[in-house]
Amino acid sequence: MAASKVPSRLLPFSQKQKFVCLRCQWTTRRSASTYTIETDLSEDVVPDSSLLTPQPDQDIVTAWDPVQRSRNRKRQLPPSRYKFRPPRYYRGPLHPHQPPSPSSPNSRLFVPGPFSLPRLQQTYTSTLAPDLLSLLYTHHPPGTLPGPTGQRLRGWDNTSPYHKNRPLRGPRGRAVLPLMKRPITFRNIPRLEKIVVHHVIRSSDNRDSSYLHVAGMILQAVTNVRATVCKARHSIANFKMTKDVTAMAVKAELKGEDMYCFLSKVVDVVMPRIKEYKGVSGGSGDGSGNLAFGLQPSAVGMFPEVEVNYDMYPPKMIPSVDVMVCTTATNDRDARVLLSSMGIPFHGKHAN
Amino acid sequence: MALQCSAPRIPIRVTSKIQISHQQVRHATLLRRPKRPYTFTQLVTLSDGSTFTHRTTSPAPVYKSTKDTRNTALWNPSSQKLLNVEADEAGRLRAFRERFGRGWDAGAMNTRDQETGEVKEGQEESQPQEDNLMDLISGYGFDAEEKGEAKGVREGKERSGKRTGGER
Repeated sequence: MAASKVPSRLLPFSQKQKFVCLRCQWTTRRSASTYTIETDLSEDVVPDSSLLTPQPDQDIVTAWDPVQRSRNRKRQLPPSRYKFRPPRYYRGPLHPHQPPSPSSPNSRLFVPGPFSLPRLQQTYTSTLAPDLLSLLYTHHPPGTLPGPTGQRLRGWDNTSPYHKNRPLRGPRGRAVLPLMKRPITFRNIPRLEKIVVHHVIRSSDNRDSSYLHVAGMILQAVTNVRATVCKARHSIANFKMTKDVTAMAVKAELKGEDMYCFLSKVVDVVMPRIKEYKGVSGGSGDGSGNLAFGLQPSAVGMFPEVEVNYDMYPPKMIPSVDVMVCTTATNDRDARVLLSSMGIPFHGKHAN
Repeated sequence: MALQCSAPRIPIRVTSKIQISHQQVRHATLLRRPKRPYTFTQLVTLSDGSTFTHRTTSPAPVYKSTKDTRNTALWNPSSQKLLNVEADEAGRLRAFRERFGRGWDAGAMNTRDQETGEVKEGQEESQPQEDNLMDLISGYGFDAEEKGEAKGVREGKERSGKRTGGER
């Protein structure tokens, strides 16, 4: 490698010859490898190489004793001399000072954790997952194939000559394709993916930002996650909404440890205390394994974290909260089985 | 194949050079440290005495719940203790019913009182319960209807023709 970077005119003649292999000399055909470096290098490229710089003087080499130097030092170096400090700004991929990756503890974006193994997570791995597998598993005896699946995209019946070469149509009655149904194996047992807790601020409360603040505080207290404010996506003059300016909702996205803690808290403590509670509506769900339920302000006040200092919050500003549970199940039925195994009761007719 | 060979070849221009703009751009994205609320470890004691710890923002070290999944009927459908049975030791509610109606219930209350008074064996115990249930199923609607206390909704009643059976 080092030799190939050195311009050939600096090399002795014998080495110059080495670059051309024997086979190429016989065939007398010039291939890409036989181009001499001199012809390739343009004038812009500096011919000097760092490899050709001379060694430092012997005096410098003998005088260089970093260990002795540090021993002679009277006081310790300031931390800025030996501690790595990540850059405050990301200045693009070509900047010499690059921030470390977010998974590195040095990074400014690093989030430590998890600090505990929540009870619900342990229950899931030890008990629920095997049970779910045996509940949801469909066995096909060897030699038999599962039955034919219905077509996802509808074809055209060739009643008209114009149907030829037409692309397939989408499903009837909706714009999006439903998710594929995979057979459940030990690899894809439905599990919790994330939980989004959010509160949409009523348009009449929009002028007063205190509703936003109280909702954000309560969401943070309840979920252990800093709540973020969602801004309006469209400008609507009638509702006095401005795009990217008007605050519409507060939300907190939970994953991992926080997610399990929150769900077990809701199931174990909050839901049983709701008056006349029948359970989550069986019709909830978006058809692709994500279920949602709501909690009234009275229920939100029953969270242990809110209850501890209930007087801190103005009673009329305590928000109602929507909880969206995203699971890796591909249909609502599997997701409902998962959540009911975790203790969420369902009532009414079960959709899907 | 022949057609492909005879077709003129379109030269493909490969631009592998990195485009470096000559204008100076000073974009810098501030890397904000993520905000995380302080969390404590809390010991949750459920109403049956079982405990577990979890991370929470509440600084209280112990949370003792009085009402949770362990003592709520919705999560314990088979528990007799949690069923909503009224305490009527003095018999005042029964007396009220005997005087002002719901005569079917008064009889059931009588038998239930006797049952609780003396413990019978399993086989014998199940028999009167079944009788009671059968009474409830068969007798309730008709009795009440005869007395004019309840609207008659019978099983055999035909539904309106809007939704024909076997849809769902």
